[in-house]
Amino acid sequence: MGTTLATGLPGVSMNVSDHICAFYRGVQERDEVLLPYLRAGLRAGDKCICVVDSTDPDALCAELTDEPRVDDDQLSAFRSEDSYLLHGRFAPDDMLDFWESVARSAFAFHDYTLVRAVGEMTWALRDLPGVDLLVAYEAELNRQLHKYPQVVLCLYDLERFTDGEALMEILRTHPQVLMSRMLVDNPWYIEPDELLTHQR
Amino acid sequence: MICPDGVPDAHDVTPRATLSRMRSLMILAQLMLESSTERQITQLAIGAARTLAACTRVHAELDEELGPGPDMTMSTRGVPDVASGPAAEGRGPRRWAYPLHSGRGHVGWLIVACDTPPDDEEHFLLRSLAQHAGVALVNLRLHEQQRAAVAEAERVNAQLHETLEALRRSMDVHARLTAVAASGQGRQGIAEAVHELTGLPVAVEDGFGNLRAWAGPDRPDPYPKDSEADRERLLRLALREGRPVREGDRWIGVSRPQQDVTGALVLFDPEGLATAHQLTALEHGLTILGMELARLRSLAESELRVRRDLVEELLAGTDEDSALRRAQALRYDLERPHRVVIVEGHDRDHDDEAFLHGVRRAARDQQVGSLLIRRGAHVVVLADHDADWERFRTAILDEVRGGRCRLGIGNRYPTIAGIPRSLHEAEVALRVQDAAAGDARATCYEALGVYQLLAEVRDPAATEAFGRTWLQPLLDYDEQRNADLVLTLSRYLDHGGNYDASAGALFIHRSTLKYRLHRIREISGYDLSEPDTRFNLQLACRAWETLNALRRDVDDTATPA
Repeated sequence: MGTTLATGLPGVSMNVSDHICAFYRGVQERDEVLLPYLRAGLRAGDKCICVVDSTDPDALCAELTDEPRVDDDQLSAFRSEDSYLLHGRFAPDDMLDFWESVARSAFAFHDYTLVRAVGEMTWALRDLPGVDLLVAYEAELNRQLHKYPQVVLCLYDLERFTDGEALMEILRTHPQVLMSRMLVDNPWYIEPDELLTHQR
Repeated sequence: MICPDGVPDAHDVTPRATLSRMRSLMILAQLMLESSTERQITQLAIGAARTLAACTRVHAELDEELGPGPDMTMSTRGVPDVASGPAAEGRGPRRWAYPLHSGRGHVGWLIVACDTPPDDEEHFLLRSLAQHAGVALVNLRLHEQQRAAVAEAERVNAQLHETLEALRRSMDVHARLTAVAASGQGRQGIAEAVHELTGLPVAVEDGFGNLRAWAGPDRPDPYPKDSEADRERLLRLALREGRPVREGDRWIGVSRPQQDVTGALVLFDPEGLATAHQLTALEHGLTILGMELARLRSLAESELRVRRDLVEELLAGTDEDSALRRAQALRYDLERPHRVVIVEGHDRDHDDEAFLHGVRRAARDQQVGSLLIRRGAHVVVLADHDADWERFRTAILDEVRGGRCRLGIGNRYPTIAGIPRSLHEAEVALRVQDAAAGDARATCYEALGVYQLLAEVRDPAATEAFGRTWLQPLLDYDEQRNADLVLTLSRYLDHGGNYDASAGALFIHRSTLKYRLHRIREISGYDLSEPDTRFNLQLACRAWETLNALRRDVDDTATPA
């Protein structure tokens, strides 16, 4: 801890191992968070991993072609169908393995010092097996973040996530909240052990 | 209930705990302000309330519209607001209502059921939560109203834009076609303008479906023509609709500015993809075509009137320079030899107008001339070419499909000064033909023989005296008895004393003829077998007929038919 990282938003910084819940409304507001976040990562030489759901990954990468790169693999962009929803279902353990393998690879085979991940979470609104495990997955992710130097930004569209009760659940799984260009420690956060125990 | 790690218990009143609770409320307030539905906001408020106070059940009641105001209590609902304290009696938890309102209005209540009454700090947190939720709800409603207003404004703007665009296009079409009308480019100009405006091939047709102008690619050759019945049906349909109608692979609009003036503007659209804008261009084009047809008709009528006036003046004798100038304006060469031909007759229906048009067509086909007028009961033609006049007469009868037709043809004169004289000659020729009886035919003045000589005698009194010298007893007998002895004598002598031919010409029986000749010999005392007597009697008869014809001519001139 102690090292502050640029979020790409003016005056807003974060720390290693942060798991941030970013609320926004619509794709335009999403990009106002997502693109600066990735640009800052590319400029800082971080390994950047991005999963998008409502945009084509190539279109997203095209927005960032002007940014300097450490190497061609510095930015990896995936569709939700190729990550969260691989094989047409959501399996939290598989997804946690996915993040870990990407992070492990970044540190084992490259000289990255930080993995900067971001996921667009609207895939969780689809009627597919396993999406009801979202809260458990988000809670479990908090435990994994300390294994490698990384930060994770989860993007929640308030125009799509209209269930207030679900939002409160999501709020309880993220130690930080980014909203209206403000990043604050989340008083509603519940440690994963307690949350998962209660859920069981 | 599980308590979030960062939200201290409501009973912890240390500054740090209070600050943390404020931050929790701030995050939630912000989240509610960002929320996109009322349900989202109330669910967030309900979820938070469960954390902020030891409650057993929380729900929200929303008014449909902004309510009466923040001072309203829940007493009417049986649930008191927080200021009134718990009122619900009986078993179960007691309930407290916290108003959901902002400065702009009241929208409902956050109702919290607790086993034990909330303390002051919990009341404060729940009231603050409800207030934030109220602000978020009011904001959302205002935002939705604003969004609806913006959407409506955008819809109206789009509609206005569309209307303006249609108006602009219509003005462009109007300007383009008006320019065509003003520049006198005629039907071809109209076809080209509509083709430019629509991008589709365009034809201008006359009322019969004949092609009059074409613009665009793939001009059909020969141009297809509907049957007479189909054409009539199509014209009626288009006129009844008052707008272009679809027929086969084309749109056709019909213009009829006057009863007997019809034109059609045709847009070829095999795929049937013509837009409203293209059809508007067609309709505008149709309007301009109507103006053009009316103009052409007016021009034709004016030209006809000028031609008629010119012919009248030429026949009466006019100033040569003035006549030549007007003829030039009509693109007619008057500086050629002309003769006058008088056509007398009628068609089977005695339709003067039809007879005039028949003479006009025959004159055109036989290349006799193009200047002609109706004058009294006759049609007068200024012939600039010589023709086989008997063929011309037959051609007229063919054109009017039967009837009767006689021609009187004057001599040909090199200048227009001779035209009145030629008219007189044509009239004499016609009269002499009349006097000479026989079948209707073409009579040239120059072929009148002795009649021409007699007609030109300057002193009719001498001619009359000569006639009376030889015919007076017979004239007196005819007058007293209403008989035809002079006419009988004339036909007998004209036919060389042949009984049968003479009787045929007079339409009488041979024995009647013999009886009349007997009476002529008795009354006059002449020997009709004597050559000199026969010659003088024949000359006297012709002189008398010529005088009669000239007298009728003078009478007719005095009182035209």
